Amino acid sequence: MSLIFNPLTNWFSKQFFHHSSMAGYLEPVIQLFKPSWRDGYYRAKVLSVTLIANKTVALELKTESRWPTHQAGQHIELTIDINGRLSTRVFTIASSPNQAMHEGVIRLVIKQQDAGLFTPFLSRLTVNAWVNISKPKGTFLLPQSNAVSLFAAGTGITPFIAMLHQALHEVAQPIHLFYYAKPNAHLLVAELESLSNRLPNFTFTLLSRSIDGDVVKKLPDCHNTHWMVCGPNDFHKTIRDYALMHQQSLSSEHFSLVDLHSTGDEKAHFQVDHGGIKFSADNQQPLLAQFQANNINVPYGCGMGICHQCQCVKKKGVVRDIRTGKLSDYGEELIQLCVSQVVSDVEFKA
Amino acid sequence: MAKVGEQDANYIRRVIVMQRILEWSGRILLVLGFVSPWLWLVGVLALATAKILDNMEIGHNVMHGQYDWMNDKHINSKAYEWDIACDGKSWNRVHNFEHHTYTNIIGKDRDFGYGLLRLSNDFRWRVKNLWQFFTYLNLSVLFQWGVSYHELAAERVFFGKKKDNRDYKVPHSELKTRFFSKGARQLIKDYLIFPLLAGPFFLWVLIGNLIANLLRNLWTSTIIFCGHFTGDVKTFSEKECENETKGQWYYRQALGSSNIKGSNWFHVLTGHLSFQIEHHLFPDMPAKRYREIAPKVQQVFLEHGIQYNTGSFLKQYSSVVKRILRYSLP
Repeated sequence: MSLIFNPLTNWFSKQFFHHSSMAGYLEPVIQLFKPSWRDGYYRAKVLSVTLIANKTVALELKTESRWPTHQAGQHIELTIDINGRLSTRVFTIASSPNQAMHEGVIRLVIKQQDAGLFTPFLSRLTVNAWVNISKPKGTFLLPQSNAVSLFAAGTGITPFIAMLHQALHEVAQPIHLFYYAKPNAHLLVAELESLSNRLPNFTFTLLSRSIDGDVVKKLPDCHNTHWMVCGPNDFHKTIRDYALMHQQSLSSEHFSLVDLHSTGDEKAHFQVDHGGIKFSADNQQPLLAQFQANNINVPYGCGMGICHQCQCVKKKGVVRDIRTGKLSDYGEELIQLCVSQVVSDVEFKA
Repeated sequence: MAKVGEQDANYIRRVIVMQRILEWSGRILLVLGFVSPWLWLVGVLALATAKILDNMEIGHNVMHGQYDWMNDKHINSKAYEWDIACDGKSWNRVHNFEHHTYTNIIGKDRDFGYGLLRLSNDFRWRVKNLWQFFTYLNLSVLFQWGVSYHELAAERVFFGKKKDNRDYKVPHSELKTRFFSKGARQLIKDYLIFPLLAGPFFLWVLIGNLIANLLRNLWTSTIIFCGHFTGDVKTFSEKECENETKGQWYYRQALGSSNIKGSNWFHVLTGHLSFQIEHHLFPDMPAKRYREIAPKVQQVFLEHGIQYNTGSFLKQYSSVVKRILRYSLP
């Protein structure tokens, strides 16, 4: 299908079908035959949605055959249709490339956020429903060299699970995993045990900060290994600071919920990135005024949210609609600058 | 707006599919005219309907941002482009901004009479107004070009006429390029390439396309005149609207437009501009929802003693014709 959509057909579409791209012209028609088919995305079918722990789901997806297989440790963007609206989030694949190649199956392990606009809806996905995924991305990969120490916290276990499953098929170096979570809230423990039985050079320790103390205590024991870290921001920062001080080799992947300033009463400043040009904006004035104050020329019109002239593509971050007080999604979407205020750092396409 | 969701997304995709099917069956049937002229006739009607759906229910509404919430890469006000001579981006700028913000403020909303017709006493009478009914008919026949020329504010772009209160932000050179490139593409597509593809049936296809475009022009022009220029529609002066509150804005929207009653297919083919009042109050609400809110809007109008202009197609159209004729005399 991707063969049909290229610069030549887009040119053709522009000349004869009055559309800037062929896919834009034909997409709803193709969707009659291939549900959820979207230009620029891959399709995947839901095989199962399982609650594996409190507020944590495992999502098994059957990818379409043209999907380029991932490398263990990479992530994808998952796009689902929530009541007619397309929403996208990034998740690490928690299954091996080997399984993806032979069975066309990948697994995501996702923590559900109570107040989230995306993850709560995953429980509503039904078997055989279609979702969209991106090609695999990221460079968080197991190095080929010497011994490795893995540091995981919470759902940060996911890339390591993929790496360990893949290690069953490839010769691997000595690996030790330090896995932090709340007491008795470690994910996929049975799977880790089975992996350590089958992999002679893999061992792991389950830890909790409340019982075992901070991760810093463990670090001096691992000096002769390469470190890999995946977990929330503060966890990552602790280990990174230590590694910098001791000239320790480290690769890391970290995640965070956007820091929201949703009460909006007290004044706060956030960084705005408009295609590389950065400036600081407050949460009191409309974004349009602040763009203009910083001499960034954007088209605009009525200034009251009617004419859509000042509409911009927001890539990341959260804004509030001044008219309704409603907060936007985290991911990519169109917003009107004249009726939006920032409530987090925000990035726009220029 | 809270109800807007999957239903609306499915609806607009369904209409787009319908439009594509009509467009392609229309184009194919035009060529099959050699088998039977009836097929050709059905082809003309299918193509005209396709163009009407594309311009009204899909193009106009998508470009108003009514479906931007879907987060769809193609169905949104920035990406969509329609099958009409007027460049979508130029239209979007002038129509959404000037017309919908400054509705019926004489001197700001150039859509009132389009600078061609005298439709209220706000304009001085000129001799050319005597035959403005024929000007109106001409405008209807060539409506897509009228829209294109008008939205460009061509008299300013091409002949350098200036108004002080305007800040365009888009260079004139770019507007000209858009005007010519979109217009040329439309001409080449409908009157050269598609006819050429038909080989010996060149003329059949050319005339078919011509008639389809004409039918579309007449239909859109008529619907739009019925929504804006019936006898009851009020106008406003710039002075009245200085420092206007949001409430006064709604009030102006309410008095500046009129509705047409009709059946399901009629509303779809007008792009729900048969609910022009609701459209002016809530321009970026998915248009099919106007049917649901119309009774509530009417109720509110009643409570506040505001006239809710509505009527059958014949009533509204004859009211438009009367208005054009009335103001052709001093």
